[in-house]
Formats: sequence, C-alpha cells, structure tokens
Amino acid sequence: MIKEVVTSSTEIARAMGVTIKYFFTKPVTHQFPDEPVEVYPRFRGRHVLKRHENGLERCIGCALCAAACPTDCIYVEAAENTDDERYSPGERYAKVYTINMLRCIFCGYCAEACPTEAVVLEHDFALAEYDRWDAIYPKERLLEPHDASKVVVVRDDEVFVNVSRWGKK
Amino acid sequence: MSDNTVTLIIDGHQVTVPKGTLIVDAAKQIENEIPVFCYHTKMDPVGMCRMCLVEVGTPAINRETRQPELDEAGKPVIRFFPKPMTACTTPVSEGMVVKVDSESALEKRKGILEFLLTSHPLDCPVCDKGGECPLQDLTIRHGPGNSRFDYEDKQRFPKRYPLGDLIVLDMERCIICTRCVRFQEEIAHDPALAVENRGRRAHIVSYTDPVFDSHYSGNTADVCPVGALTTRDFRFGARSWELTNAPSVCNHCGVGCNTVLSTRTGQIKRIMPRQNEAVNEVWICDKGRFGHHFNGSPNRLTTPLVRKDGELVEASWAEALDLVGQKFAAIKEAGGANALGGIAGARLSNEDLYLFQKLFRDVIGAHNIDHRVGLSATLEDETAYTVGVGCGTDLSRTGKGAAILVIGSDLDQEAPVLYLRVAGAAAKRGARLINAGGRQTKLDAQAQTSLRYRYGTATHLALGLLASVVEQKLVDEAGIEARATGFAELKKALQNYATAKVADVTGVDAEEINAAAKAFAEADNGIIIFGLEAGNDSALRAALEALALVTGHAGEADNGLIAVLPHANSRGAADMGVVPDRLPGYAPVDGEAGLSAQEMLAGESGLKGMLIAGVDPAAESEAYQAALEGLDFLVVQELFLTETAKLADVVLPVKGAAERDGTFTNLERRVQAFDIGVPAPGLAWADWLVLVAIAGRLGAEWLYASADGVMAEITQQVPLYAGMEFENLTAPVSLERKTSHYIYEGMSFTADAREGVQWPTLAENNAEGGPKLPLRFIEPAPVAGDEDGFTLVGSRFLYDGGRLLAESQVVESRIRQPQILLSKLDAQRLGVANGDEVTVSQNGVSVALPVKINRMVAEGTAVAPRNVAGRPVEKLVGPGGVYATVKVEKT
Repeated sequence: MIKEVVTSSTEIARAMGVTIKYFFTKPVTHQFPDEPVEVYPRFRGRHVLKRHENGLERCIGCALCAAACPTDCIYVEAAENTDDERYSPGERYAKVYTINMLRCIFCGYCAEACPTEAVVLEHDFALAEYDRWDAIYPKERLLEPHDASKVVVVRDDEVFVNVSRWGKK
Repeated sequence: MSDNTVTLIIDGHQVTVPKGTLIVDAAKQIENEIPVFCYHTKMDPVGMCRMCLVEVGTPAINRETRQPELDEAGKPVIRFFPKPMTACTTPVSEGMVVKVDSESALEKRKGILEFLLTSHPLDCPVCDKGGECPLQDLTIRHGPGNSRFDYEDKQRFPKRYPLGDLIVLDMERCIICTRCVRFQEEIAHDPALAVENRGRRAHIVSYTDPVFDSHYSGNTADVCPVGALTTRDFRFGARSWELTNAPSVCNHCGVGCNTVLSTRTGQIKRIMPRQNEAVNEVWICDKGRFGHHFNGSPNRLTTPLVRKDGELVEASWAEALDLVGQKFAAIKEAGGANALGGIAGARLSNEDLYLFQKLFRDVIGAHNIDHRVGLSATLEDETAYTVGVGCGTDLSRTGKGAAILVIGSDLDQEAPVLYLRVAGAAAKRGARLINAGGRQTKLDAQAQTSLRYRYGTATHLALGLLASVVEQKLVDEAGIEARATGFAELKKALQNYATAKVADVTGVDAEEINAAAKAFAEADNGIIIFGLEAGNDSALRAALEALALVTGHAGEADNGLIAVLPHANSRGAADMGVVPDRLPGYAPVDGEAGLSAQEMLAGESGLKGMLIAGVDPAAESEAYQAALEGLDFLVVQELFLTETAKLADVVLPVKGAAERDGTFTNLERRVQAFDIGVPAPGLAWADWLVLVAIAGRLGAEWLYASADGVMAEITQQVPLYAGMEFENLTAPVSLERKTSHYIYEGMSFTADAREGVQWPTLAENNAEGGPKLPLRFIEPAPVAGDEDGFTLVGSRFLYDGGRLLAESQVVESRIRQPQILLSKLDAQRLGVANGDEVTVSQNGVSVALPVKINRMVAEGTAVAPRNVAGRPVEKLVGPGGVYATVKVEKT
C-alpha cells in the first residue's frame, strides 16, 4: 500500500517536473501575425517577378514557367518591346502575367524553368484574401517592388544558407 | 529486281526503291530518318547544311575482270568511301550499303551541329519557332550538348529585320540552308530573296520593291528550319505547345486549301497549311494565311438589329426572327411567293446553301434565288458537272506527257496555289503548258507556248484550236464514240473557223495555233483551266467542253476542265442549286425558272421582300443600291454591317467559317469539311441555323440540329453528294497516302487529317454506260471592230477590296486601291508618271484613276483591278464584263 503511494507520487512529481520544465522554456507558438514568423532561406512562398539593376523587367514572356507548371496556374501573354515602350531587354516581354495562387502548389518548377531568373518564389506565405478573385495575382502585384510581407523573417543560420555546394563532392 | 528499282542496305535493312531515289528518301522507308536542314522533298537538293552525312559503301569492282569482288564467304566486298556523303544529294545504286547510325556518322553529324550552333544565338525562349524547331529537335537528338565555342564570339546581326510587311527576319538565327531562297525561286517563281556575302557574313536579303513582293511569302516561314523567318502577325503570339489546332479549309478562293487554325484563348493565332497533295500540297498563299483577322475584328456584328423609326437598333433573336416571319408571310399573302427573292453569297457552306434554296423552294415556293453577283456576276458554270477534271486528278504529280491549257486567267492573282501547282507541273515536272491570255501574266514565264489573243476573242481562239485539232486529224475517235454525240454537226460548224481566219481575228499566229492544238491533242493527259478574263460566256464553255471531249481529255483522272471560280464555295453554290433554273444536283426546275440576281437587282423586278446572305450587292453599284432601297422588307445575314446591311430592315449576325463547321466544294469538285476553331462573338448564329429558324417562323418543321445533320440530308437528296456524310469527309487519310514533308518536322500539329471527296462528272459516268454528252456549238458574239483607244481590262487581283480582307489589318498595305496600270510607253505618250491621275471614259461614263506604270502591261492595254473601293472598273466594263474600249486622258 505504502509502496503504491510512493510510486504514484513519484510519477506525479516527475510528470509535474516535465510540465514545470516547459513552463520556463520559450513558447513554441508564434503570436502570428503580431509577431513575425521565421522561415528558412529556401522556403518557397509567393512568387515575385524580379527586375534587372537598371529597372527593366527580367521576365521575357517566354512562358516556360507556364509550360513547367504542373497545375497550370500561370498564364502568360507576350508582346513585342518597342524603342518607345520598353519593358525588358531584348525583343519580347510579358504583356500579361498572372498566377492563380489558389491553384499553385509552390513546387518551384516555374523558377527552375525560368531562363532569366525572373520568377522567384520568395518567403511570403500569408496569402489569404477576402475575395477568391484577388488570389489571381496580376503582373503588377507580382513585379518588384511588391508589398513585402512584414510578418515573415528569413533565418540566416549558416548551415542553411551555405547550401550551394549540395550535390557536389 | 526489275529495271526501274534498286536494292540497297541501310543500317542492315534491305530496301528496294525506284532508281534515282536519294538516300535520304530511301531511308524513310524503314523509318530511319536521316536528319536534314536544307533538304526539302518539294525542292531540288543542294547539300548546303551537311547535316545528313552518312557513311556510304558500294560493291568493290575488280579492275581487271570488271566483276564484283567477293570475299571468302562469297559475299561482295563493300568498299566505303573515305569521307562521309550527304544523303540528300546522293542517289542510291545497286548493292549500296549505307550506315546512318554508325559511330563515325554520328560523330560527324555532332560536329556539324556544333558548327551550326557557333553562330546561333540560342534565344529559344523568345523564339517563335521554339518548341517546333528542327534545329532544337536535332540538337537534342544528335547534338554535342555543350560547345567549345566562346559565347561572346557569336555572330551579331540585326535581330528584327523586316522583310516586307508580313515576314520578319532574324539573321542571327539563320543557318543559311537557303530553303526560303529556293522556295521563292523554284516553287513560287518570285525570286525575291537571295543570299548576300559569303561564309559567316552570309545573310538573306530581298531587293524587290515592295520588299519581299510575293503572294507566297508566308510559306518561307514554314519551311525555315530555324526561327530566322517568322510571320509578322504570329510574332510572340503564343508558344507552339499552347496552341489548339483545328483542321479547316481556307475561305478566300475556290482552290480550297487545307489549313490548320491554331488558336489560343478563343482567338486565331495563326493559320498554317495542312498537307493535302491533291489540293494545296504543303503551301497556302498569303491571303489565306494573313486574311483571317476579320474573325476577331471589333466591327463584327454581335446581336440582331431591327429597324425602328428609321434606325437599326439592337434586338433579341426572337424579336428579329418573329418580324422576319411575319413580314415574309404577309408579303407572300399579298403578292404571292414570287414577291420574295434571295441572294446567297458563294462564301456560305454547302449546308447553308442547301437550306437557303430549300427555304425558298419548299417553304416559300419561289425559284427567285441566285448567288451570282459581284465577281461571279456572269458565272453560269456547268462544265464541272459535264467534263470537269476527273476524280483523282492530282496536279502535284502532273508532269511529263501532260498538257495544261490555261485560257484567260492570271492564276497568280485569281487562285495562287493553283498557280504554284500549274507552274510546278510545267517548270519542275515537264508538263506542256500553253498559256492563252489577252495580256502577259506571271504564268508566261513557265509556259512553253504563250498565245496572246485580242480581248473578246477567247472563244474564237478556243474554236480555232478545236478546228485545228479536227484539221490535223488528231481527234480521239474512240473517245467521242464512247462519250459524245453530234460530232458531225460540230465539224460542219467548225468550217468557219479555219486556222488562218481565226489567226486573223484573234491576232495569234496561225502556226502557233496549230502547234498548240497538236501539243494539247497529242498529250497523254490534258487539263483546260479557264478564268475570269476568258469571259465565261456559254459559247466559250461549249467550245472548251467540245475541245476536251474531241481530244479525249475528259472523263478520266488528270483530264478535263477546271473553271477558276471566284469564291470559296462557288462550285458548291451551283451544286446546291442556288440558281433560278436548277435544283440541287443540276436537275432543271419544274415549270418556270425564277429571277436571276441581275433581274432581282434591276429595280423593276416586282420583288417586295428579299433575304440576302453573305454578299454585299449594294457596295457594287448605285443601281443595286436603289433596287434594294425600293424593297418593302430586306433581311441580311452578315458578319459586318455592310452597305447592304445598312439598308436592311433586319440584320442577323452570323458566324464566320472559323466559328462553325460545314463543307466547301472546291473548283475541282472536292467536298471538304472544316471544323470549329474559335467561338463566335456575341450572339452570332451559323447561317444554316438562321435559315432553320426563319423556316420555322414560316410554318415549316425542320429538325436540323447540326451542319452534320443537314449534310446527311444532302447526301440523300443530291445524288452527286451521295456518301459524303461528315463521317466520311473527316476520315483520316490512310497511312499509305501520307507522305512526310519536312515543314511538319517538330510541328505541334499533325498535318494529315483528311483529304475530302470528289464527285464524279457526267463524262466519267458515261464511260460506265451513262448518257452521252452532246457536243455543242454556240456561235460566239461578233468581235467589235477596232476602235480608237485603250483596251481596259477589269482584272482580278489577289488583295482586292473585299470586306473580309479590309477587316484584316495585317494585309492592309497590300490591298489594291483603285488604279490603272499602263505601259511605260503609253504613260510617256500621255505625259503622266506614277501617281498622276487620268480620266478614263467610255460611253459617257468617266472615272478618274491614279496611274501605275507596270512592265507586264502591253502597249494600248490598260489593266485596272476589279472589286476595289468604289468599283470604278465595273462602272466601265459592266458587272460581268471583262474589258471595254476606253479613252484615257490626262486629268
């Protein structure tokens, strides 16, 4: 009888010990969106259309991203640059470029296919909208400069940043 | 082994092919494709690109014994050439051994590709050819994968160099295969392109004025194995893999070229040729390729319009159709069925035309229907029914032993793809081409014989040829016995057309007439092609029919007549009986014939109401306009608000050919089905559906649910069209009939969908015991005496002022404006230069036209385009006239 009391008390004490231990550690829960969330550098969030340093769009409207897309969520219509109206270097630019964020599975194949590194999956994942139509991002929303998310912070842990030599001996 | 075949071994497979076959074609038999860039099956080989290098060996011959050397096993010793050979220029020989995929051959081809890519910009992501590019495909299949060449040392050329309004050249991408140059020279016979400079500085240029002046320029973009030549309107239009392709038939002229509508998001992005060796081979003209933009024009009608208080206002279909029904019923009630009449354009499909005549004949009860206005004004063509070219005629194979007689047609302008085929038969394959015409045309360059007659004497020339055939005893007695009657009477009538006399009247040398008659009669196969400028009167048709029958060139494949008709379905309009005196299938009407289009539009016709579909008579003359204004009730089915539609009480919007399905019958009587490519704008309906609805409002119970269903009835009602259900018309071509042509290499669509079906003529039927054809003789109209002045010829030009072209922005600059073409000497005599205005007058009618000096025009002749803005020529020569003697004075 005494033995039982002692054993169960120790068990309760040990369990409480675990609880008390976690009581003093930093909580895992993020106060999103009041506090920013940390993501890893290679996290694939919403797309951004990059620009060259001189301000011209990197995108040339080749639609290879749309071809690579497994969910067919990218729609591109190309047009020709003129000297008066120049959007990108070279002859061709994307007149229409939309991504349906509801369909997108953030696989990153589009960025992989892009010959000019124009479309990049950045870190914003807070893509909720009040209207489903707003989830279809037109080119103006995708293009830099865009509303950078205030609630996402990129971790800069060395181990994750320095991954460029992966796959090589 | 027979004498005409050669057996060789390619990669271990034994292949037997005809003598003279090139290795590259022989290899196709075992589906062992040898990669090529410069070689094209339709053009002569040149061996420019060296991509087709293979190892070739032939049996060794002992020099002393002149016998093949044998090895120990008793097999012939094969001696390989020390260097690789180009498979596209090397013909096969007996016992030859070819190694296509040997290590050495692969190595060499890899080297060639590495060379080609040293000056290629590799801008595939922005290239319109990307995705259907032979250079891409072959690089992946045979290429080295990387280059030892420094990217910075690449050739730099202008990227966007316009070759005319329609084609853009990107010289960096060019690999100098010269397919485009050779296409223009060998096939289009417009040597508009050339290669300038040599080596790495070589590039393609065009020095014609206007730049790249050809009706076939779009085809160079098709044959280009890289993205060097691209079409202006498809530039960056879509990537090839994004396109949806629908098989279609061109709706611009009677040739009926097979096309593919490449569409994306409900818009036609481009039109490409679809291979059909019997119709257009692998080509289409620029009008067909670039003249489709009317489909997406913002001026299209999208909703029915009804006239209220003098204004056309938008209405619902129900409202518009109810009104049509009430008014037509009321007019019939008051003035009888003959107070109603209808004109249907020959651009409508067979289904539309069949229901159009059925509406008038069965539901309304009048024969007042016609399709013959505008360019088809005097068309009255039944020659196709009697002695049209035989089923199975294939001009792409017509060559040695055949004779082609062209009368009064500028094929290059009237039916461009037919020009390519006729010129090819003469220039490439050795057919005898006799070009008879009132003026010099492009075809004269390929013709062995050119007969230049005075305008108005085409019939005399035809009768002269016929008399000469009889005179020279070249008559096909057995053929006449089997097929025709009345030869004795014809012979008697021809006595007045002795060669010397005809030579006097027509101005053609008597010996030339005899020689031409002999050449035509003695040929194994003979085809007669006659066009707009021949005059298309019944005397001419009778003479040509007789010429075909008497020389035995009728009732068989590759023999007979081809009338060059102006519209996509002119043939079908006649077949479907949209004429006042014939039912579908050419049976005469019971009782009195109705009014023809000319009579209906004459003013005093007694008509109260009319239905006009797909044709614009009001634009043609003020008299027609006045006649239409005088009607109580006019209904127009149209794509656009044309001059006629502006006069209408009800305008019904209809679908263009690309937006619905149906069939066209081409000028060789080939019935071809086309599919739906794009959605119609707004509330447009197909023409046949509109007709079904109107018939319904008039009390008929028509139960057609599709064009397919209408065609099913046509096959029952019109014996000529038996067996032409959509199912048969759209049946895929069998494997044996497919021939691969390199333009389709890597294309995103398959080229070989369907071929269409021809219906047999009377001449073919009577070979199997059908009724014999009477040999007719009709006295031609007397030739007017020489008058002072110019002979003004109203000639049809490819880019005329038709509404469909006017709405197609891309070809805008090419559309003919009213002008008069004069010879240089005449212009000097009148004291005028290019652009100056002259007054052209005849019988009190005078028109001012700007002058253009043209070297093709003879002295004393003036050529002016028909069917252009304001119709100036039609005023002078009459709606169906061809020529007139006019006075030309400096304004």
